[in-house]
Amino acid sequence: MRVDWRTLALLLVVAAAEARGQSSADGPVLGARALRQGASLKIWVDGGRLRLIAWDRDSILVRGHAGRGERFVFGGDSNGMKFGTEARAGNGPIGRSEIAAWIPRRSTVSVKSVAAAVESAGVSGWFYSVSGAIHLSGRATSIEAESMNGSLDLDVSTPWLRARTGDGRLLLRGAPEDVDVSTISGTLDVTATTVRRGQFGSVSGDIRYAGSPVAGGIVEFSSHSGNVELILPSDASAEFALTSISGSIENGVTRAQPIAASPRSLRLMLGRGGSQVTVRTFKGAIRLRVR
Amino acid sequence: MTAPSQHLTEEERQTLADGTMDPARSGTAAAHTRVCVDCATDIARIRMLMARTRDASAPPEALDELWPAIRSRLDARKVVSIAAGVPDAAPVVPRRTRHAFRAGLLGAAAAAAAVVITFLPIRERNRAGDDAGGRQRQDKTPPFVAVVDSARSYEAEARSLLDRLELQRAVIRPEAARLLERDLRSVDVAIAELKDAIARDPNNPTLRQLLASSYRQKIDLLRRAGNAG
Repeated sequence: MRVDWRTLALLLVVAAAEARGQSSADGPVLGARALRQGASLKIWVDGGRLRLIAWDRDSILVRGHAGRGERFVFGGDSNGMKFGTEARAGNGPIGRSEIAAWIPRRSTVSVKSVAAAVESAGVSGWFYSVSGAIHLSGRATSIEAESMNGSLDLDVSTPWLRARTGDGRLLLRGAPEDVDVSTISGTLDVTATTVRRGQFGSVSGDIRYAGSPVAGGIVEFSSHSGNVELILPSDASAEFALTSISGSIENGVTRAQPIAASPRSLRLMLGRGGSQVTVRTFKGAIRLRVR
Repeated sequence: MTAPSQHLTEEERQTLADGTMDPARSGTAAAHTRVCVDCATDIARIRMLMARTRDASAPPEALDELWPAIRSRLDARKVVSIAAGVPDAAPVVPRRTRHAFRAGLLGAAAAAAAVVITFLPIRERNRAGDDAGGRQRQDKTPPFVAVVDSARSYEAEARSLLDRLELQRAVIRPEAARLLERDLRSVDVAIAELKDAIARDPNNPTLRQLLASSYRQKIDLLRRAGNAG
């Protein structure tokens, strides 16, 4: 009897996948093959939903279904792959695909979407969507997330993170270290307290930071017309330089020791200092208060 | 002149066809075309081509529409209004072209330059700490002139990015283009307000930081839009 090794490999991958907590409930298998750790993946899904889950196996498994009028494409080799959905013909309406992919943990992805909601867990790389929401979680070596107006929810542990959106909300939590995030008019919420180097910016969106700067951290907040609000724990320790050209500065931390003050700027020391927090706005208000 | 048994040279065919050949030579050349079908055919083809070129209609309207954008870009490259002693001087970009999208792309050239113009000195200042009282620090402000030359090279690099983005414009999705225009307006308003404020308070480091930040936003936005194709 002849053994079809490709079929056998596929069966093994699927069997292993079943053991990893996913099943036919995620849809039929669209593609599977061996993939080395650290491989590169290019992924394109127009609309619908894309889920990426890192696993500790040297294979990729994709389940789901392509949207109406679209087809699933899957190609490459064990060093790099490309998969996603594409329109069967012409420029029709964007389909609603449901794609879930399990990929080796140290893979690097390049994800591009128009309106699809993108979710990933433990995956590193570049994520882009024109208007779809992006939700990233887990541990990653680096994250870059961009959208024209989709919301970004970044709940990741990573040494390097960069994110941009237009009027979508940007929520940063988890444990990132070197961070550069901004919006045009969307609200920027930061609850991550592990940031060692941080730049948080917006043109007209409000920025809210709730946390305690880490020792030795340098963090900058910048907004043109949005308000910047810092909500600190009672034991926060940092040196604050707050400046607004025409907005108000409200200091709600009574134990703060003013170092210097002018009508449009305020320098404060909380605790022993140890980290530097700079806030600049043109006409947005700056508010400092205790949680 | 070539021998009678040889074909006319390219130069002879061209000048015979357009009537610029020396009269002393044209008689012999014309005699050659009466016995050489190849040369006669080629000269006839050249004459027909010249006639078509003369009769060609004006360029299609699409080319006309392109010209304002091209002219704007040329103007933007020509005008460098860096007044002596004015720290904020940056290449002047036309306020708004007919096309908001195109205007955004053009503006980013100035954006990149201004990032350098504003950011470099600020970085230096920032080491000594931030301060809203820019007027109090006027005497400590590094001379702006020192970074102008650097700005030019960055500006040139930015232009190549702009050219690429403009080429991509046709493949950017309409919804992304709308988002881009709306966001560009927001950023442009912020930049205009900051420039106005800097004109009144040229050495305020906070204003410069905010302007640099706004320009970075604009460049980031254009890059994101480039990915929307």
